[in-house]
Amino acid sequence: MGSKREHSAPAAVEIGLPADCRMAAQAALLAELLGALDAPATQLDGSAVERVDTAALQLLTLFRREALSRGCAVSWRGASTTLCEAAETLGLIKALDLPAAVPA
Amino acid sequence: MSSTGGLAQFQQVFIEESLEGLDTMESSLLALDDGGDGELVHTIFRAAHSIKGGAATFGFPEMASFTHEAESLLDEVRGGKRAIDKPIVELLLRSVDCLRGMFDRARAGQPLNDATSDDVRGELAAMMGRAAPAAAVQGRRAGDQAEAWIIRFHPHAGMLAGGNDPLRLIRELAGLGELAVEADLSRLPALAKLDPSECHMGWSIELKAPVRREDIKAVFDWVEDECDLAIEPKPSAVVTPAAPPAPANIAEAAARGTREANADSGSVRVSIDKIDGMINLVGELVITQAMLDTFREEFDPSRLALLQHGLTQLARHARELQESVMGIRMLPIASVFNRFPRLVRDLSQKLGKQVKLELHGEQTELDKTVLEKIGDPMVHLVRNAIDHGLETPQKRRAAGKSDMGTLKLDAYHRGGNIVVEVSDDGAGLNRGAIVGKAIERGLIRSGEGLSDEAVGELIFQPGFSTAEVTTDLSGRGVGMDVVRRNVSDLGGTVTIRSKPGQGSVFTITLPLTLAIIDGLTAAVGQERYIVPLVSIVESVQLKPEALKTVVGGGELFRFRGEYLPVLRLHELFGCDGAKRAIEDGLVIVVEGDGSRVGLFVDGLVGQQQAVVKSLETNYRRVQGVSGATILADGSVALITDIAGLVRLHGRRKAA
Repeated sequence: MGSKREHSAPAAVEIGLPADCRMAAQAALLAELLGALDAPATQLDGSAVERVDTAALQLLTLFRREALSRGCAVSWRGASTTLCEAAETLGLIKALDLPAAVPA
Repeated sequence: MSSTGGLAQFQQVFIEESLEGLDTMESSLLALDDGGDGELVHTIFRAAHSIKGGAATFGFPEMASFTHEAESLLDEVRGGKRAIDKPIVELLLRSVDCLRGMFDRARAGQPLNDATSDDVRGELAAMMGRAAPAAAVQGRRAGDQAEAWIIRFHPHAGMLAGGNDPLRLIRELAGLGELAVEADLSRLPALAKLDPSECHMGWSIELKAPVRREDIKAVFDWVEDECDLAIEPKPSAVVTPAAPPAPANIAEAAARGTREANADSGSVRVSIDKIDGMINLVGELVITQAMLDTFREEFDPSRLALLQHGLTQLARHARELQESVMGIRMLPIASVFNRFPRLVRDLSQKLGKQVKLELHGEQTELDKTVLEKIGDPMVHLVRNAIDHGLETPQKRRAAGKSDMGTLKLDAYHRGGNIVVEVSDDGAGLNRGAIVGKAIERGLIRSGEGLSDEAVGELIFQPGFSTAEVTTDLSGRGVGMDVVRRNVSDLGGTVTIRSKPGQGSVFTITLPLTLAIIDGLTAAVGQERYIVPLVSIVESVQLKPEALKTVVGGGELFRFRGEYLPVLRLHELFGCDGAKRAIEDGLVIVVEGDGSRVGLFVDGLVGQQQAVVKSLETNYRRVQGVSGATILADGSVALITDIAGLVRLHGRRKAA
């Protein structure tokens, strides 16, 4: 996905996270995220996430950190409660810029 | 906490029983202090032994080991190796206090030991000539138990691949208490170099719960080899060994009674006898009902007498059942009285006074709600009596009295009320000082012509204190006005009788229960009002000429040599269709708030017990009405608040 550099007009990339966003899904996700690092803005959609694990959150955290350090914007189009809750449990709410989960 | 979860329901029972055991220990120790016999030592020992056994069984090892120390000391006394003396009694009393504190903390789920308990424990051991296990105690304190913990958790890279997810572990940890989780992201590699199956994060977790180290370790049991784990007590939260306890001061001693009053639980213990009595009555009811049921199938006028008999029985059983159900809420006042021996002992020691406490009528029963709320005012009165009423031995001797002052608590029934008296044989009210203070505060102009009762009334004014020296007690910012307010919240009154040089008697009069009142049903137009029987003096029918109209529209009538105002209920409550001519209706003379008035109603319907339903809860507060009740025909009748009506009348007159 190295083709992004060729775009003269910067375009926002949108990445949807799968419902089962656990380790098995992450090789694909990693590739997608790596590609998005070149885009000026990335929108993540986590509204479909039903299952998530530490590995996924680690990956997202790392992506956001790198993207920000490159001056790219990362925003959330949506995030499921499961996702927010997991991020809260792991103390990653701030690092991921997710809304704190509503107490169940 | 799975290890103790199943025991929780028994723990509650254990705690309740143990608190009773502690009460027994305390009262026996106090009796022993007064020169009681050796059997008391056995009683105390047995109580301590039960608590120790229970504590060990129900998962309170700290409590068990603490009680063990006390028990060992008691064992030496019991075995005659050691004579019981003041210091031992004192120390054992403090142990009882410590155990109470432990039970409080056990209920609140906090660590059981605190600085005081460890110190007392050390003293117990020291008294038995052993080195205090303080070092061990402190080691344990710093090691296994803390108010809060810091857990540093760094999974090895391979942990995720092994199927152990930190997310699950931290969730489990959250089950122990509130967490503050901080992720350590410093070891994260570049995204391009990341192997998503490796964990590069770490966590620093603050667990804000007083759990044991083992409980935390248990969460990480499965991943012990796959992570770096450090569990440390949060520095500021470690229970630090405090300075030796300052000798219990007066305020603390005085506060003790109050504290115990607040610790009341929401349950009532009922004696088997009472329950059996009720079951009996229910049985009778069922039989009567079955008997009455036969009339449903066929009714033969010849059996009318039988029907009437059945209905009479039904009524009687219903009334008896009502009485016994109300009786469940009735508890002996002993539970309130019992806290006073200790309070009196501690206070008199601190103040250097000799006080003999006499308790009478401990078995007098009153409503649990009233019982719970009467404790604080009584503590106040007792404190006052010892602090202000009773004199020091020197002064008593100078006044020709014995060194030992007497404080008497008495409870008895009078009519539908319970009367509690707190009396002392001290100096009595200092009339001069009270009058002087009242003049200074502008309450009165001069003391001349004031009756002793009127002077006594002055001390119930807010903020009134004549104490020459502000002590721990009198400087607490609560006065007799609070006592009076608390008591009147319960529908009662406080009065004082005092004779200079001979002492004072405070009399608290309270209704037996707040749930039911005896009243007369009065008709006013289409409405029915309940007038509480306790406030009724008499009812009279007036001739028109007996009524005098005074300037301003008020009406007066002569009653036993005094003129009383007439309050027309239909005017006050705006009822239609009521009788207006004074000779057509009836005037009920009632007494409330210290004055008498006549209530003009259409007539009396009958006497009945009214189950009080709160207007405030169901609607809102209405001046002159204390509640409502439901009559036999299903209609609602308001219960008049006589004191409120008297005040209402006073305001109208002033307006």
